[in-house]
Order: sequence, then structure tokens, then C-alpha cells
Amino acid sequence: MTDIWNFLQSRMPDLLTALREHLVISFSSILLGSLIAIPLGIALVYNRIRWLNTVIFFIANLMQTVPSLALLAVLIPLLGIGIKPAIFALLLYSIMPILRNTYDGFHAVDRHVLESARGMGYSTMQRIFTIQLPLSLPYIMSGIRITTVYIISWATLASLIGAGGIGQLIISGMGVNKPELVFAGAIGAIALAFIADWLLGLLEKWLSGKFGRMGGAEA
Amino acid sequence: MRKLFQNGKIAFAALCLLGVAVGLSGCGKNEKIVIGAQTFTEAKILAEMYRALIEDRTDANAVVIPDLASSPLVVSAIKRGDLDVATLYSGEIFNNHFPIVDTRDREAVLQQAKEGFDRYFGFKWFDPLGYENTYAFSVRKEVAAKRGYRNISDVKPDADSMRLGVDTTWLERPSDGYPAFTKHYGFTFGSTFPMELALVYSAVAHEQVDIVLAYSTDSRLKAYDLTTLEDDKRFFPPFDASTVMRKDTIEKYPGAEAALSELIGTLNVDTMIDLNYQVDIEKKSEREVALAYLRKVGLLKE
Repeated sequence: MTDIWNFLQSRMPDLLTALREHLVISFSSILLGSLIAIPLGIALVYNRIRWLNTVIFFIANLMQTVPSLALLAVLIPLLGIGIKPAIFALLLYSIMPILRNTYDGFHAVDRHVLESARGMGYSTMQRIFTIQLPLSLPYIMSGIRITTVYIISWATLASLIGAGGIGQLIISGMGVNKPELVFAGAIGAIALAFIADWLLGLLEKWLSGKFGRMGGAEA
Repeated sequence: MRKLFQNGKIAFAALCLLGVAVGLSGCGKNEKIVIGAQTFTEAKILAEMYRALIEDRTDANAVVIPDLASSPLVVSAIKRGDLDVATLYSGEIFNNHFPIVDTRDREAVLQQAKEGFDRYFGFKWFDPLGYENTYAFSVRKEVAAKRGYRNISDVKPDADSMRLGVDTTWLERPSDGYPAFTKHYGFTFGSTFPMELALVYSAVAHEQVDIVLAYSTDSRLKAYDLTTLEDDKRFFPPFDASTVMRKDTIEKYPGAEAALSELIGTLNVDTMIDLNYQVDIEKKSEREVALAYLRKVGLLKE
């Protein structure tokens, strides 16, 4: 027990660096992934060309199946090594679940509500922002929450390409037979995932409160 | 009724899955010699050689489990009895397995590996296969020519601005890793990028890093036109490759031990680089390369 304590104390700067790198990588890829996937999901709901939806979902699914090492190898000539290819790879992995949930959330909105809004003279943009987006928020947020937890675990792939993170602790700990490193890394990843999920839960509550009132007042 | 039928179908599917899972977990219980191999090519080629020799010389069956993440993982898997045979390198003693006397002497390191793994783990550490796979600082050929790098010490004046690509473990290794290196050679690199070994070569070739710590038998040194720098201050310990086998397994299959002993001393660095090249660059399968080699040297009949 004292061993672990001593170890934690002596390696604290490294552990904090790893946590920070991990956080930056996960957060950036989720943020960029959401910025791409949510608008794309909305666009697909309004898209009239059926086959295009199929193609885009196919591509998003396909990206999930590319092995990370292969993807990173391909990215070296384009994005080099370090944090950039790591974020890019994770961003690709994050698109599908967020896209799918946004799309399904919009489809789950009661048609009659939309019809009556249209009858009251709402424009498409108004319908999206004051009705569909608030009503599908639980779907979108649950997509983001699930993806965040996954991405925090997948972000260990950053250690394959020189971007550090918690994965580096785990992999190097395994490589040199230092279980305390693996342990510290695993605990760090679990803690990050819990905290992130909790914060996103708060965000979801706050957003639904805000949008809920707004939607209620205008509808 | 329809609903019931559907539920039945789901239940049936679940049962099938369960059956598959049980079947899979049962595999480990079969009477087979299990050969482990780490993630890099050389370990997998050797594993296929072991399998071919065991199956040729004895009645036992052998399976290969490839892509084990690290050598300590291999060590603990053999200890647990999940693996029977694997390839390890004498420098493995520097991974905190048991108390050692720190030395760079080739023979002394090998001796400690043999004795330590016998005493603390119950492994038989065979005599070396005949080649060493150690760390090798490597740079692009034109950089070596332009800057006149021949030894690791030559890099010292430029090291501050150099980006180093290494595998995921070297920075952490206690007695032959980065902290010890820094003390021994008296310099540090500007920045370090620990990454998957398979990507290190491509990273230096694409000028994403300036120098890499390669493995000396890797064929990609040749394929990417890299120059290896001489370890002029004798920092890196020896890494002689040896076959390792559980002593329990030897008692059960003495024939397998005899079969694997035939490989002792038969390989050298150039052969190993060439075999690795056939897999990594020419994209042949490890099994194909292993069998072709054994036939060529007469250990297997045509």
C-alpha cells in the first residue's frame, strides 16, 4: 500500500500530464464530432434524396470498423504523429453514434406537432430550432454521453501514435511489468469517464430546462 | 402464437451464442501445446517454426496465439500455464521479474535469464537461437550522411532539437530505458514520442521524427533506408533470442523439447531480417515464411 502511495507521489507530474493529454484528446474529438454529426444528422432528416442517407450512414458505420492501428498508419503521411492524427481518428469513430441518435431523435418528434407548427406559419428553421431540437435533445444528449464514455476508453489509442494520454501509462506499464502504472492508468480512465458522464448529465438537465421553457413559451 | 414463435427464435439464437461461447472457452482445455507470440513479426515467424517442428516430430498438436501485447504478459501467461512455449530475449531480466546483478556482459545476462526464470518461474530457457534483437538508434540515410552521424554520441550536439520516436515501453524501462540512457550518454532529446513500434519506421521516413529507436532485426530499417547508429558507449544490454518452455510441458512432451532444441544456434541476424522482410514488406504469411525456411535448411522435409 505504501508502495502505491510512494509511486503515486513520485509520478504525479507524469500522471497529471497523461490525464491532461487524455482529456484534451477526448474532449476535442467529441466536440468536433458533435459539430459535424449533429448538423449532418439534421441535414439528413430534411434530405429528400433517400440513397444519399443510406450512403452516409454506410460510410459512418464503415468508419467504426476500421482498425485503429491501420487508420493511424494511413494518417502518418497526411497528419503526421502526435495529437492531430489521434483526434482525427477518434473524431471519425465518434460520428456514427451521435449522427444516428440525432437522426432518430428528430424522427421521433410527433408529426402532428410539426404539422400544426407548419399550419401556424413556422418556417423550417423555426421548426428545427424551437420544436425538433428541444424535443430530440434527450436523444442527442444520450448519443453524446454514450460516445463520450466510449471515446475516453478509445482515446488510449493515442499512445500508439505518440500523443500520450492514459493509454501510454497502461501500455508502458504492461511492457515493463509495473502493475502500479497500469493500475493508475485504469483508475484515471474510469474516473474521467465517470466525471465526464456526470458533467454531461448536468449539461443535459440545464439544456432541457432552458430549451424546455423556451419551447413551451413559444409553442 | 407468432409472438411465441419469435421469442422461440430469439431463445434459440441465444442458445447458439452460448454454445459458441462455451465451445470457445473449452478450447483451452484441449491437449495442445500452446505457443505464444508477441505483436512483432519475428515472434510470429518463430512461433510458426515451433508449431511446424512440434507437429512434425511429435504426435502433439500445437496452436499459436499471436499478438500478445508485451513480454511481461508472455512471461505471466507461461507462468499461469496459458502458454507453453514462446520466444523471449535475454534482456527480459531487466523487466523487474526478479533480483538481478546489473551487467552488460552477454554471457552473464543470458546466465541470469536461464537461472532466474528457472528458479522463480519454472521455465526452461533454451540456449540462444543465434541472433540478437536489440535497440538500435536509427536515422534517415541522407541525414546520417549530411551530419556525419555514425555513433550515438555524434547526435549529442543536435539532440536538443531532435524529435525521438520510440516504442511504448522504452521511456519507462528501469535500467536500459531513457532515464538510464540520459545518464549514460549525457544528453536528452528535444521531444519524445512513444508510439506503436510498427509506426515508428514510417514516422521517421516521413520526417515526422528525426531519430527513432528501432529493433535491430526489423526489416523496415532496410525498406525505409535507415542507418543504424553504433552504441559506442555500450549502453544497451544484450538481447539474445531464446526459446522458452514451461518445465511442466517438457515433462509431458519431452519430444517437443527435443524438436525445439534443433533450432538452437541456427539463426543469425541477417537471416532474421530477411525472414522479417518477407512478411513485413513482401506480405507473405508468417507460416509460409517459417515453413519455407525450415525446408530450406533441412529441418523439414520437402
